[in-house]
Amino acid sequence: MSRRRVAALALALVWFAAVPAGCARQRAAGGAVRIGMVTDTGGLGDRSFNDSAYAGLMRAQRELHVDTVALQSRSAADYQVNLTVLANKEYDEIFAIGFLMARDVAEVSERYPTRHFSIIDAVVDEPNVTSVTFKEEQGSFLAGALAAMTTKTKTIAFLGGIDIPLLRKFEAGYAAGARQVDPSVKVISKYIGSFDDVASGKELAGVQFDQGADIIYVAAGKGGLGAIDQVKSRPNAYLIGVDADQDGIVPGKILTSMVKRVDVGVFRVCQQAAAHKPRPVHLTLGLKEGGVGLTDFRYTRSVVTPPKIAALAKLRAAIIAGKIVVPSTREELASFKPVPL
Amino acid sequence: MNATLAAVLALLGLTLVKATPLIYAALGGVVSERSGVINIGLEGILVAGAFTSVVVSGATGNPILGALAGVVAGMALAAVLAFAATRLGVDQIVAGAGLNIAALAAAAFGLVLVYHQPGASHEVPALGNTGERVLIVLAFVAAAALQFVLTRTPWGLRVRACGEDPSAAEAAGINALQTRFWAVVIGGAIASLGGVYLSLAELDLYSDGMTAGRGFIALAAIIFGRWTPLGATGAALFFGFFAALQYSLQRAGVPSELMQALPYLAALVALAGFAGRVRAPASDGVPYVRP
Repeated sequence: MSRRRVAALALALVWFAAVPAGCARQRAAGGAVRIGMVTDTGGLGDRSFNDSAYAGLMRAQRELHVDTVALQSRSAADYQVNLTVLANKEYDEIFAIGFLMARDVAEVSERYPTRHFSIIDAVVDEPNVTSVTFKEEQGSFLAGALAAMTTKTKTIAFLGGIDIPLLRKFEAGYAAGARQVDPSVKVISKYIGSFDDVASGKELAGVQFDQGADIIYVAAGKGGLGAIDQVKSRPNAYLIGVDADQDGIVPGKILTSMVKRVDVGVFRVCQQAAAHKPRPVHLTLGLKEGGVGLTDFRYTRSVVTPPKIAALAKLRAAIIAGKIVVPSTREELASFKPVPL
Repeated sequence: MNATLAAVLALLGLTLVKATPLIYAALGGVVSERSGVINIGLEGILVAGAFTSVVVSGATGNPILGALAGVVAGMALAAVLAFAATRLGVDQIVAGAGLNIAALAAAAFGLVLVYHQPGASHEVPALGNTGERVLIVLAFVAAAALQFVLTRTPWGLRVRACGEDPSAAEAAGINALQTRFWAVVIGGAIASLGGVYLSLAELDLYSDGMTAGRGFIALAAIIFGRWTPLGATGAALFFGFFAALQYSLQRAGVPSELMQALPYLAALVALAGFAGRVRAPASDGVPYVRP
């Protein structure tokens, strides 16, 4: 056997060993619509983004009786492979979870024009791709408003992972919400420069507390674990969580979480797919669609008092009614003025 | 005035916190490189120390036992590099890079095995504030001790001889392969403390990618510090200071990427100033094969 043959055989063996291991396969009745999902490297079990998407897929399986499969990506190199595997197997709808896969979705969707793809958190301009994005700035606006109502030091903070447009939506909405409630509240925004660096997350959160902030809105991936460690040793200080409901991680210290309902987005696309209806080119989920929002403050009712909850409800209604247009970039934030209600 | 003083003290405190893992990693690299073995695998050794110490602390409930296990793991990983470099005569850069990939992947897999979840471990009993302070002080003690050992003891002379000219060292009766092997393993023990510091002293958990390239910054600190323990420590403090400084300087209107690049820009400027005076051990990275 030539060396090349041996290599090919080895590759094939690895392939057969690896692919079933990466599957979480659930089969319903035959002939059903088949829906596949490719996670990003965060993978299932991240208690956040990917798990939320998977919850939407599982709901589709229960309620819409579709066949589902989820392939996990261990590295960025797996994205295109996993997407291609699903496209080859004639899946009716293929989800790519996360903006990291945008380029791969664009390439694979061009190679398989008869398949349909959906990508979360990114816009891919192809006829057979649905882009599912969220109005994170709207939920962040409410988070900023609550923070401004709650701060004792008139200083609040935003801690981001990497300084990218997606995170600036969180930052801009948060700062605008604070300005709406109290223009004199100062907002300190800082970025770690990584989504993995837990220690730096802890240190930066410490710097923000030292600079006078008593509430930090954390959108920093695993860097947020460091901020959580930091807030434990700070009396009268709070964090605001992001993506998933993180309120229970340190009960009483997480004021609320800005929840992003990736599951809602996934399920809505699944509904269209299951009914063999055309999918929208762009699905944008905000407060109105139930795509973003705050949690129920179940651990922090002593600080988040009924008048504050009422004020938040009023702001929420104003955003849904279009009376408040929440900025999603720093440029829009610069020109944002509090709206009289 | 008091507020300014407090801010300066906070900045210096944060400088120590940022510098400590770099100091350990750089010291480990210095021992290894002075013996003639380039250790690109410092990042992997940090990972081994960070991950193992958390797992053992979690399993036994004893963070000191965890820290010791982290050191043993760092030595074991370094021994693999040492074996490859001295007995197999392989390209040290390739072996070190392999070490990094293997350690990161093993830790990621280990998280699933031990904690049944990818991404991050549970919180485990940690060394706490006292442990953090002890490890910070120990980093400087280690730097001074290593400087003494390398320049003032017979073993240090032998290590340096192997790094400059292993053939000449062997002709003088030194076992170059054995000396290099142990220099790399001892370097691994020191470097692993940087990982232990991150996961078990500053924090109380292991999370994928938490070393975030500190092993590579340490490589820069070694060169910047001219392959001496005290020099590398100074370089690590320099990086730590600018990293801490950019935290306080980050503000609206200034691109945060520019601020995050500050430590490295400062290093480039400083290195350009020292250009020409930096010299690596003559046989650094050159496999020695007995004739």
